[in-house]
Amino acid sequence: MPRSARTVSVLAVVLALLLLLPLAGGDYYVYLFALVFTNVILAASLRPSLTCGQLNIGHSAFMCIGAYTSALLAKNLGVPFEISLLGGAFLAAAVGLAIGYPSLRLRGVYFAMVTVAFVEAIRLIASIWVSLTRGNAGLSGVPKPSVLGVTLATKTSQYYLALFLMLVVLVILYKLEHSRLGLVWKSIGMADNLAQSLGVNLANYKLLAFSLGCFFAGVAGAFYAHFIRFLFPPEFGFLLATNILIYNFVGGRGHFAGPIVGAAFLSLLSEPFRGSPYETIFYSIVMLLTILFLPGGLVTLPGKLAGLRWWKRVSTPRPSTAA
Amino acid sequence: MTAALLVQSTVIGLSIGSIYILMALGLTLMFGMMHIINFAHGAIYMLGGFVIYYVFFQWGAPYFAAFVLAMVLLGAAGYLVERSIYRPVKGGIEPTLVALLALTTLLQAAGYPVFGTLDKHVPPVFSGTRSVLGVMISVERLMIIPIAGVLVVGLYLFINKTRVGGAMRAIEQDKEAAALQGVNVNFINGLAFAVGFALAAAAGALMAPIFKLDPMMGEQPLLKAFIIIILGGLGSIPGAILGGLILGLIDSIVATALGAEPAFLLSFVFIILLLLFRPTGLFGHAP
Repeated sequence: MPRSARTVSVLAVVLALLLLLPLAGGDYYVYLFALVFTNVILAASLRPSLTCGQLNIGHSAFMCIGAYTSALLAKNLGVPFEISLLGGAFLAAAVGLAIGYPSLRLRGVYFAMVTVAFVEAIRLIASIWVSLTRGNAGLSGVPKPSVLGVTLATKTSQYYLALFLMLVVLVILYKLEHSRLGLVWKSIGMADNLAQSLGVNLANYKLLAFSLGCFFAGVAGAFYAHFIRFLFPPEFGFLLATNILIYNFVGGRGHFAGPIVGAAFLSLLSEPFRGSPYETIFYSIVMLLTILFLPGGLVTLPGKLAGLRWWKRVSTPRPSTAA
Repeated sequence: MTAALLVQSTVIGLSIGSIYILMALGLTLMFGMMHIINFAHGAIYMLGGFVIYYVFFQWGAPYFAAFVLAMVLLGAAGYLVERSIYRPVKGGIEPTLVALLALTTLLQAAGYPVFGTLDKHVPPVFSGTRSVLGVMISVERLMIIPIAGVLVVGLYLFINKTRVGGAMRAIEQDKEAAALQGVNVNFINGLAFAVGFALAAAAGALMAPIFKLDPMMGEQPLLKAFIIIILGGLGSIPGAILGGLILGLIDSIVATALGAEPAFLLSFVFIILLLLFRPTGLFGHAP
């Protein structure tokens, strides 16, 4: 079977399984997978920035902005979910522009440090602006999501909403990555001075990649807010931001599927430890092992295994054809 | 704010600033040579504090012995991190940064099962208070300033007067040229990791008798150190010292007047403005 046909059939099977999951699994799996979809959106939305070679260690802050904006718009002003979700996403993107503009013009490490400090700044704002966010008491009673005026009351309907949002975000990001824009991003990541010499405005393209990622992190945050219906500032800290990076690096930086595989793999496998320090210990150890022993990430694993088999088979001489 | 309160927060700012300087010096040294930011610095600060807790408080060793032990142990750990993480990825900046992030979250999370979830307290090492310009300040806080001062002068002499320090400066200027002159770049980079980690451990060990200990205690000083090296210019040692003093004073005076959270937000806004108008920091070279 040709490669593309095989990919399409694998995708179709995965999608069919995800569509059927609520019928087979109970509420627990519906809930778990809706969170996995949120993590996939977060991980995939970091990819454009990483492709440009920008280490964004502050993605959770933009999720936080999206979550609180959407929750407060819906709860205090009665704004419908579709609008409040977009409101959260646009505000996250706008803040991304404001933070990215001064820090993206410099060497990557400046940007990395500014994003780390920004996570803390946003967390502090969410915890001390008590009159708006209820601070560290947590914001509860966020309305359930609704679509075209119909409230999605059951977890199963919210699961399909999460699946839909994830597919939309992934299709958009995939199209962008395979457009001219995606090529420019890649060229910046591979050799920014060469790209600049060919007339690429580095700062603008990096800024676009970064704030686009912030937009989708805002989408993930908005869904999360209406799904969990309780927001607590410390959840959006440095640890979550690091986890989003870890999804990308464990999954693999070289392929669009990397962050998706990484987020799904880690969120599902760490499920027995969720909420305990062992979850973080597991993530960190998998990350360190990946960097040391599988630098290309999980997506390169099948190729490596196939390579091993191939190497054994052809250890007897075989006429080589020019590659 | 009364004059007495101003004097008090200035002295406390100087002592907190000394801690920040110790943190920032290691970061800026490692950045200058290897172009990496050691995200694990905060976790090492935390471990330095816990070495004091166990060796000085639990096992009853003298404070200075525990202090030196913290620096030696964590310095050795720094060399091992260079050997086991930085060297295998062959100087790749991005994988190194992510691996150091993972090391940070690993050490922080492992702190809970290993050290327990309750906050730990170390009893005071230096008791009593002393009058400074008519204001009483605890000797505990005052003593940080000379101890940190000795370490900073020691680092300055080490970098500028010894052969190993000369090798570090050579790597900072040009790694390939240094290697051609016979500098063992890998070994010297390992020493830079060791020196950076030892300084972070010293900072944590100095703060242990003053603040409560918990596995996340290193996060704030790490963020402060980031702000300092952006302020002073990445890779600049004088910049780190001046930046540390400025931030310590801002921190203490603004925190006394407005509270700790507004002080942090203010320093963050200050950094964003600085990046807009003077992107290379106070002492930095053009990137």
